[in-house]
Order: sequence, then C-alpha cells, then structure tokens
Amino acid sequence: MSKPTDLVQGTLDLLILKTLALGPMHGWAIAQRIQQLSKDVLQVQQGSLYPALHRLEQQAWIQAEWGESDNNRRAKYYSLTRAGRRQLERESISWERLSAAISAIVRA
Amino acid sequence: MRLLQILRLRLRSLFQRGAADRELDEELRFHLDHQVEQNIAAGMDPAEARYAALRQFGGLAQHKDESRDARKTRVIESFWEDSRYAVRNLRRDPFLALAATVTLAVCIGANTTVFSVANSILIRPLPYPDADRIDWISERSGPAQQDIGAAPDYFALREQNRIFEEVAAFTPGTVNWTGIERPEQLDAADVSASFFRVMGTQPLLGRYLTRDEEGPKAPQVAVLSYAFWRNQMGSDPNVLGKTIALDRLPHTIVGVMPQGFDFPRGPQVWLPLQIDKSTQSFPLRPTAPIQIVPILARRKPGVTPIQTATEMNRLTFAIRSLYPKEFRKTGFRTDLTIAATPLQEHLTGQVRPAILVLGGAVALVLLIACANIANLLLARAGSRNRELAVRLALGSGRARIIRQMLTESLVLALPGGAAGIGLAWLAVHVLDSAKPAILVRYPAISMDWHVLAFTIGLMLATSLLFGVVPALSAAGIHIHGALRSAGLSHSEARGATRLRKILVVTEIGVSLVLLIGAGLLVRSFLHLAHTELGFRSDHLLTFRVNPIGSFDSNYGPFYAEVLDRLKRLPMVRTATLSANIPLGDEGFHQTGRIRVVGRPLVAFVDRPIIDNTMVSPEFFRTLGIPLKSGRIFDPHDLALPAEPVVVNEAFVRRIFLGEDPLSRRIGFGPDERPVTWTIVGVVGDIRSTSLGADPPSMIYRCTCAGTPIYLAGFLVRTAGDPETAIRAVEQQVRTIDRDQPISDLKTMDQRRDAALAPERFQLILLGSFALIAIVLAAAGVYGTMSYLVTRRTREIGIRMAMGARQADVLGMVLGETTVLVVLAIVAGLGGAWALTRYIRSMLFGVSELDPTTFTLTSVLLAAIVLMAALGPARRAVRIDPMTALREE
Repeated sequence: MSKPTDLVQGTLDLLILKTLALGPMHGWAIAQRIQQLSKDVLQVQQGSLYPALHRLEQQAWIQAEWGESDNNRRAKYYSLTRAGRRQLERESISWERLSAAISAIVRA
Repeated sequence: MRLLQILRLRLRSLFQRGAADRELDEELRFHLDHQVEQNIAAGMDPAEARYAALRQFGGLAQHKDESRDARKTRVIESFWEDSRYAVRNLRRDPFLALAATVTLAVCIGANTTVFSVANSILIRPLPYPDADRIDWISERSGPAQQDIGAAPDYFALREQNRIFEEVAAFTPGTVNWTGIERPEQLDAADVSASFFRVMGTQPLLGRYLTRDEEGPKAPQVAVLSYAFWRNQMGSDPNVLGKTIALDRLPHTIVGVMPQGFDFPRGPQVWLPLQIDKSTQSFPLRPTAPIQIVPILARRKPGVTPIQTATEMNRLTFAIRSLYPKEFRKTGFRTDLTIAATPLQEHLTGQVRPAILVLGGAVALVLLIACANIANLLLARAGSRNRELAVRLALGSGRARIIRQMLTESLVLALPGGAAGIGLAWLAVHVLDSAKPAILVRYPAISMDWHVLAFTIGLMLATSLLFGVVPALSAAGIHIHGALRSAGLSHSEARGATRLRKILVVTEIGVSLVLLIGAGLLVRSFLHLAHTELGFRSDHLLTFRVNPIGSFDSNYGPFYAEVLDRLKRLPMVRTATLSANIPLGDEGFHQTGRIRVVGRPLVAFVDRPIIDNTMVSPEFFRTLGIPLKSGRIFDPHDLALPAEPVVVNEAFVRRIFLGEDPLSRRIGFGPDERPVTWTIVGVVGDIRSTSLGADPPSMIYRCTCAGTPIYLAGFLVRTAGDPETAIRAVEQQVRTIDRDQPISDLKTMDQRRDAALAPERFQLILLGSFALIAIVLAAAGVYGTMSYLVTRRTREIGIRMAMGARQADVLGMVLGETTVLVVLAIVAGLGGAWALTRYIRSMLFGVSELDPTTFTLTSVLLAAIVLMAALGPARRAVRIDPMTALREE
C-alpha cells in the first residue's frame, strides 16, 4: 500500500489552499471544484482529501465550521485562516519555481 | 495566535475524542451521500450507486484512521487504547503475565541494585560541598607508583601553587580515650587546620581547628564526629568547651561535625596535626619527622583538568629542586611526578573494576530474561496469528500492529519493573545495613532519582528488546496463509520457530559466559581458601596495643611485662610480640632499600626494596614457622657488633640465589647513616599481607635488640578455643595499666576469613547471577522444546503410526536440543574467551582461560539443558498416534 509521495501530498495541500482562497466550502465541494478547475485533469483521490484537510486544520492554516449546506444538511465548511493565506503564498511561489524549472528542462 | 489555535485543537482531540470522531463520521457520510446522489443522477440504481461511491472513496476505515492521525494526538490515544487492550489480553493469559513479571522483577531488581551501588559509589558526588573540586595529591615514581604525598609537597604546594584555594595534610590513626571506666581506642585523624576548609563541610556545632592549633605548643583540642557525639556524649548540646581525656591528656572539645561527614575512614575524633613550620615537617616523632602524608587540595572554581595537569607539571619541577640535599643524593628517580587526582576517583579506583564486572554480568542476565520473555511472546503470537491477520485484512497498518505489540510488551513489563524496584529497595537496605567488607570504606548505598530514572529507562529498553522480535514477526504475517490455516500454520510457524531457536541459543550461550565467569571465581576462591599460609592459623588469638603516649617513649618494659603475664596464663601455650600481625590491616612495616656488604656498590635507587619488621624470638615457634637453616636470634645476641636478623626463603631466593646467606651482612638505609645487620637464620615464607599475593621477602629483627617499638601486635597460641582466652587476656593488660585499651582482638581464623570476604562477596553475587541465568535458560529450553513438540504432535503421531519406536522419538527431540546446545556452547565459549579477561584482576592462581573451568561448565550447562528438554521429549514419547491423528 504505497502512500502518496511528498510531492503529491504537498501538491494536494496547495490545491486545497488555493481552492479555499475562493471562499469557504465543504469537502465534497472542494473535490468537485479542483476537478472542475483542472478541467477534469486532476482527479482528487477522495480518500486522501480528508486526511489532508484534517492535517491542514491541525496546522491552523484552515479552520472548520459546521453550517447548512445547499440541500439543508449539516456540513463542515473549511475556510482559510490568515496563516493559511500566507502559507498559500509561500507554496504558490515555490510551486511556480518548481514547475518553471521542470518546464525549462522538459522544453530544452 | 496560530500556536494557540493549534493547542486548542490538540486539546480538543485529546479530551473530546468522541465528539471529534462523530464529526469525522458525519463529514464523511455527507461526502458519500453527495457521491451517491451524483451516481444516481448518472443513471445507476440506488444500491449500485452506493457501492460505487464506497469504491471510489477507497478504504474507508483506513482513511478515517489517517484523518485521525492528522490530529497528532493519536499516539497518546492509541497508547491508551492499546494498553487497555493489552491488559485484557494479558488477563486471558495469566501464566505469561506471571512468568514475565517474576522474571523481570528478579532481573530488573538485580540490575537496579547493582546500579544503586555503582551510583552511590562511582557516580554520586562525595557528600562534601563542591566535592568535584577536591583533589588527592600524590607522588609517583618508579615501578612502585606510590599513591601518597610527602611532607615537602605539602609545604611547597601551600606556598607555590596557583590553582588551589587550600591544601591540607592528614594522617589517620588511633588515640586512646582514657579516664573512663572501660578505656577505648578511638579512630582518629590528625589533620592540618586547613583540612576542614578543603573538605568544605561546615561544623554542626562550634568550629573547625584553627591555624594556631597546629604548632607544637598549641592547646590540645578535638573535633568530634556526629556519631561519637550522639552515642558517647548523649548528643550533649553543651559539649563545646568540655574536655575529654585522650591518651591521658585533656583535650578541649571545640566542634562537632555533622552527620555523614566521615573522612578519612570514619574517624571518631579529629585532632590537630603537629606541624613545625620552621623545619617544614610534621614532628609526630621528634627523632624522625614523618615524610609520608596524605595530601588533599581544593581547586579554585573553574580550573580545568588541563590547567591542573599543566600546573602540577610545573610544581613537580619546583618541588624536586626543593627536596633536601640528602634526599636528592639518596635517590629520587628523575621520573618522579606529583599528580592531582579527583578524590572520588582515588577513593573508588579499587572497587571500580569489581562493580563494572558485576554490572556487566547482571546486564547479561537481563538479556537472557529478555530472550526468555520474547520466546514466551512468540509462542503467544503464534496463536494470535489469526487475530492479527484479521486486523491486517480489515485495513490495520503494519506499523500500527507493531505499535500495538510494543505497547503490549510495555504493559507486560510494568508490573515486573515496579516489583523490581521494590526488590532492589530491599536489597539496597540489606546491603547498606550488612555492609559487606568490600563496601565498608565507601559511601552509604542508597537509591535516588538517578536510580529511578535508570530503572524506568531499563524497563522501557527491556520491553522494547523483548517486544521487538514478536512485533516484527507479527507484522510479517501473510494474511492469506494465516487466515486459511486453522491454528498453528506450518508455513507460518517456520519463521517463528527459527527465531525461537535463535533466542534459545542466545540464552544458553550467554548463561555459559556467566557460568564460566562464576566458575573461574569459584576456582580462584578455592585456591585462595586452601592457600598455604606458611603458619598455623588455628588456636591463635591476636590483638593490638596502640600505646598511650608519644612515639618516642620506650614501651619495651611495658610490652615485656604484658608478654610475660600472657605466657603465664594457664590456657596459653606460647605468646609473642610482633610489630605486624599477619593478615592484619594496620601495622608498622618499615620498608627500605638494602645492599649486601661485600658486593660492589650500586646506586641507591637501584637497590632492592625489602620490608622489615620486628618480632620477639618466640614469634616463629608461636606461629609454627619452620626454621630452614641457621638459628633464631635470642636476647644474648645483643653483644654482637651488627644486629642479628632472620630472613625468609623468599628473601634468600631474591638476594642470595645459590649462595649461603648465613653470616652475610646487609646494609640498610642511606649510606651516610648506614645500619648493618647480620643474617643468623632462614625461616619459611608466610603470606603475611594477603592470601592472593606471593609471600613477600622479609627481614625479621628482634624486639630484644633495643630498637624502640611503638605499635605492637600480640599473638597468643592457646591450648583450647582461643575465644575463651579473650577475657583473661584483656584482664592481664588492664592489670598493668588500667587506662590502656587493646584493640583489633580477633582469632587468626577470623582474620583469614575476613581476608576472603571481598572474594566471597564477588563470588556470591556473580554466582547468583549465573544461577538465575541457568534457571532462565533451562526454562527457555523447556518452553521452546514443549512448543516444538506440540507443534509436531501430528507429525510424531504419523511417525509412530508408521513404526517409529519410542527411542526414535526421544532421540529426535533430544537430538534437536543437542544441536542447539552445541551451537550455544560454541558461541558461549567464544564469548567467554573474549570477556573473561575483564575479571583477570579478580582471579588468583587460575588463568582467565582455565581449560578445566571452560570444560566443566560447558558439560554442566549441557547436562542441565538436556534435562530441561527431557520433559517435553517424554511427552512426545507418550503421544498416542490415534489421538494425534484425529486432533487437527
């Protein structure tokens, strides 16, 4: 049973933070949104989503609140904290550096 | 702000676990429901949609677990869960719990006890303020490497050193408490006024000695020990200023030291050391100021070991040039150095190897215990394979299983560890109150938080050690195999069986190492106990008289009268006077370099160093020492120009090998003031200093020759039991001088016994460790062979059904054991070969690789192990083929 590699794990964190920058949403919506934004290229492993959310919450980068969902059910809504916003900036920068570097190599 | 939030979250997951878990469930359910809805919208029927949703999500339980793991407090939570589970599990297996607890209690107890001893003696600082700054100053030169200071060092250090705050000199001795109903000899220490400042301990009452009390005409004062003040003075609060008669002179009590201050060697009183600053000497004896004196110094704060070494180097040169001319001429090797050793290191140097060896041995015992418990756990793990396989199949991570197994072993170790601490507490109390001879000179043995920390660490390490093998073997379970087979799967068990065999081989091998160590000590002890003393030790009563008065008085007439009265007692056959009592610890050896008159002169430093002592002519007859040639001196010899002396055979072998020593003359002392002696007789050798050492070369001078004798020992050969003569002997001395106590009253057989005490102590401890090791190893073999037989019941049944005879089955089981034993013995012999060198210094008359010991112990261990295997083997023989085949 291989765990997701660090890269993948770190990437998922970045995607979650980025998604939540748009506004508070629950786990299901986050998964849908990532899939949608990536034009169905990225399929979030649903199983790894919740451990990742809980990990981010424990880091106090996101915070959770119970609220009403669109179909009147209780759902756990996640939103970015201030620390999370800073973390998102850091991760975006390092991701852009990484992807630029990889692109440069691949195109060369 | 962020940290605060994190803390809040952690606390919530710890204390509101149920709520957090419910929320997690709800969150995941919400997600799944959405997925199901989406699937239905895509055209699936409800049941199919639900199934697809679950599949899309993946291992639900596992992801839940991961989400919980994200909370970081999982380790603590699961530890509690695992502990509760482990307790439930152990309750189902009380034999395992009991066996492990008893084994660990004994082994952890033994380890804790040895560590308490090591901690009390080697590790814990001496009980003086900043004790790590106190150094022992000693001169070292030549092969003898004397470890004691000399008078010139004291004065030079005081004046010239740059690193010490204070330097002190002292000499331990005795003084007689007189003027009371039953005069008593007290242990005393003559100390310089600086002594207490070096030690740093404040007096309980009154004050220290002062500088003015050091001089020859100073007032007579005394400082009392706490024990003496409490027991003999009834804790009198007004004791200061009162007087106490010591050697018939009134001494004013100026101070009482607090409880626990007992340096050096537990004196009852401290008296001022007589120091003559003008001659830079200690005029204890006006005729010959003492030169040898123990020196202590207190380093200034912050002085490093390197600074100390550098400074001592400089002082060495400075002091060498200071020595009186006659000293330099009569010979100092140029390699003389003056060294500063931390006091604790100096005091404990002798006992350190023995403690380390015991520590090593007891650690080996614990290792065997771990192997044994690991073995028990493996057996249990075998029967738990199914349970573990189910858990693995349900998605439990292997790391999680390992963690749980380790938690179980920790829970298993806890009661044993706690009981071990209890046992050690008892053992430490017994040790401290019984004070075996080997520990008498060292600080009190006690437990403190160091010991507690050590034991807790030991318990954790132990549980990890015996838990890791079964845990790893559990994590390596093949789910399919374990689930398919009913109970004990053969393919599964093979790995575990090999592990168990390895553990058993380790156990037997390590016990052999211990057994060989103990065996060597036994042989060495027997050797010592049967050592020829060279004299008859039975029916011999011995005691010392440390006379009242100063060194330079003539005690000849007093001693002559004592001797005369003793000889006239009806139960006394003969009696003798001797400066030294053989196998006695105090005494007055004179040691010096000698030359043979008529041989070419050699440099003083290259002359042999020989002990000489003074005895009365009856000495040899009283002790039964044979005269080998010549004659014994007698009072008429006084007329001879050179004093007649008797030498022993060791002396002849060393100095006059192949020559006739009789009538030869030997010179003693520096050439400016030579003393010449004539050899008139040769006597047999005696082991006068210790049982283990070769008899030293000796020169016996006669007490009748007129040299004053100060300290005296008396040896009385009695007709009957020497103990019955004690009262009469005491009475005779008191009749002559009612103030004069006698001391150190023991029969020679008691002295011989006491001389063996350190060896006996080591032997008993190492022997009991070896015994525990063997019992554990035998239990391990028994358990493993029983397990193997049970596992092979079916196979044995088939064999018997096919015509195997009982002898074949017996041979099979014992044969298997023999293979293990042979492997273990080879390993054990190798281990012993590598390790016994560390007890070389504890062995007398037996090599650390003694083939007899190695062989006998191997045979003994093999026999014990085979006996242990006999039970399971006989059970194998009694297997009924029909039942065995029907069983599975």
